[in-house]
Amino acid sequence: MNTLVIVLSLLAGAYLVAVLEAWLATGRFRLAAPAWAAVALLGRESIVPRTPDRIFFETAPVLLLVVALLVSAVLPLSPGLIIADMTTGALFVNAVLAYVPVALLMAGWGPNGGYALVGGWRFLGQTIAYSMLIVMPITAVAMRAESLLTTAVVTSQGAVWNIVYQPLGFVLFFTAAMAVSFLPPFDLPTAGGELAGGVEAEYTGVRLGVFRLGRMVLVVSLAAVTTVFYLGGWMGPVLPPWAWSAIKILAVSSTMLLTGHYLPRIREAHLLAWCWKLGIPLALLNIFIVGVMVLIWP
Amino acid sequence: MISLQTVFIAFFGIATIGFGILVFRTSSMVRSALALLFSQTALGAMFLAMQAEFLGVLQIMMMATEMSIMAIFMVMFMMDPGGLGAMEMSHQKRLSILAGVVGALATAGIALFTPWGVVVNVAPPAAEQIRALGTELLGRSMLIFETAGVTILTAMIAATAVALPALQRKRNA
Repeated sequence: MNTLVIVLSLLAGAYLVAVLEAWLATGRFRLAAPAWAAVALLGRESIVPRTPDRIFFETAPVLLLVVALLVSAVLPLSPGLIIADMTTGALFVNAVLAYVPVALLMAGWGPNGGYALVGGWRFLGQTIAYSMLIVMPITAVAMRAESLLTTAVVTSQGAVWNIVYQPLGFVLFFTAAMAVSFLPPFDLPTAGGELAGGVEAEYTGVRLGVFRLGRMVLVVSLAAVTTVFYLGGWMGPVLPPWAWSAIKILAVSSTMLLTGHYLPRIREAHLLAWCWKLGIPLALLNIFIVGVMVLIWP
Repeated sequence: MISLQTVFIAFFGIATIGFGILVFRTSSMVRSALALLFSQTALGAMFLAMQAEFLGVLQIMMMATEMSIMAIFMVMFMMDPGGLGAMEMSHQKRLSILAGVVGALATAGIALFTPWGVVVNVAPPAAEQIRALGTELLGRSMLIFETAGVTILTAMIAATAVALPALQRKRNA
């Protein structure tokens, strides 16, 4: 039952995010836009390029969707509303997110086309930049909760949310989460207007539909991770817990989309330089500060 | 009576070996790297089936990043644009086969003939395993892990230092 509720909520969230994205892109608010776009994609011929690696080509969109759904499996939307409350929950989030680059590499390399190939390899470069900024802030979150259980992470924020307790970690994680879901300004693998769609370039029809759905679900899942790790998860006054989770997740996804909308696309080399020269030292500093704070003010 | 756990362990074990063989049966660096990745992922799933949750999740996480990065470095170093070209993935075949067979027999021998002592029937709960691992890392095994960590860091700094003059020469040219 929990599985069904969470999957349906994710899909509803992904739909709303798609509405927002279309609103930002076209300047018109149309609630039915993603539905029509999906119908159009389903009706379109799904072309297979010449001499592809068929296994990679077919697996990539499905793998992206599965990864995006699996991330949410360990996230509580309200007390008891969780698919699997794993003892290694926080680590599991990391482990699953490590398969996003694998899916994109497959999508890039599989179709045997130039633009897709560049997009796929670019994302691996991007992974080298952001991956530490996912792992290290999560470490600090687990340090405060003294547990890898995601439910314990939420309850550890009873007195004060992690966004206040470790703001540095939040900024780093939020940025890295945008890079994982290749939202602008980190949309290097798709790079509209430059790479002709990049990893999406060779996909059409149903396959493209699944790929885009996977990406939207990934955005929502990462917003849910941010909510659970930094915004106190389901906690809040008056409204029921699930409503707070929904509000926070939507707020985080909208902030991600809006932030990207007003920033220019960052260059690969600059992203690597910023992440390694500034991001990682800051993440280490965050771990140190949280370590000291846990001792004096848990 | 074969338990469901044994079935899963056997399934993932066979998948590990199957993907491992695939590493050498393809003629492409990217396919080979990803086959190795899925072989290691299956090994992680095997750990999960053996109720070693932390080890399993860690294996599944580490290998995805490591193998993808290995793939990009292989492609960068092999002068093969994008890794699209075909290449032979096995070399010195006779010697490799010999080494492989000897290695496999030795491993099987160790597994079969070592007196392992009493094997626990019930694995401790996952939380207890993590606690025990943490205590081990910060206790008896601290020196080993710290030495390994510092060695890797030294190697990284040395590699960067070695790479820098070449970059400088290229700029000057």
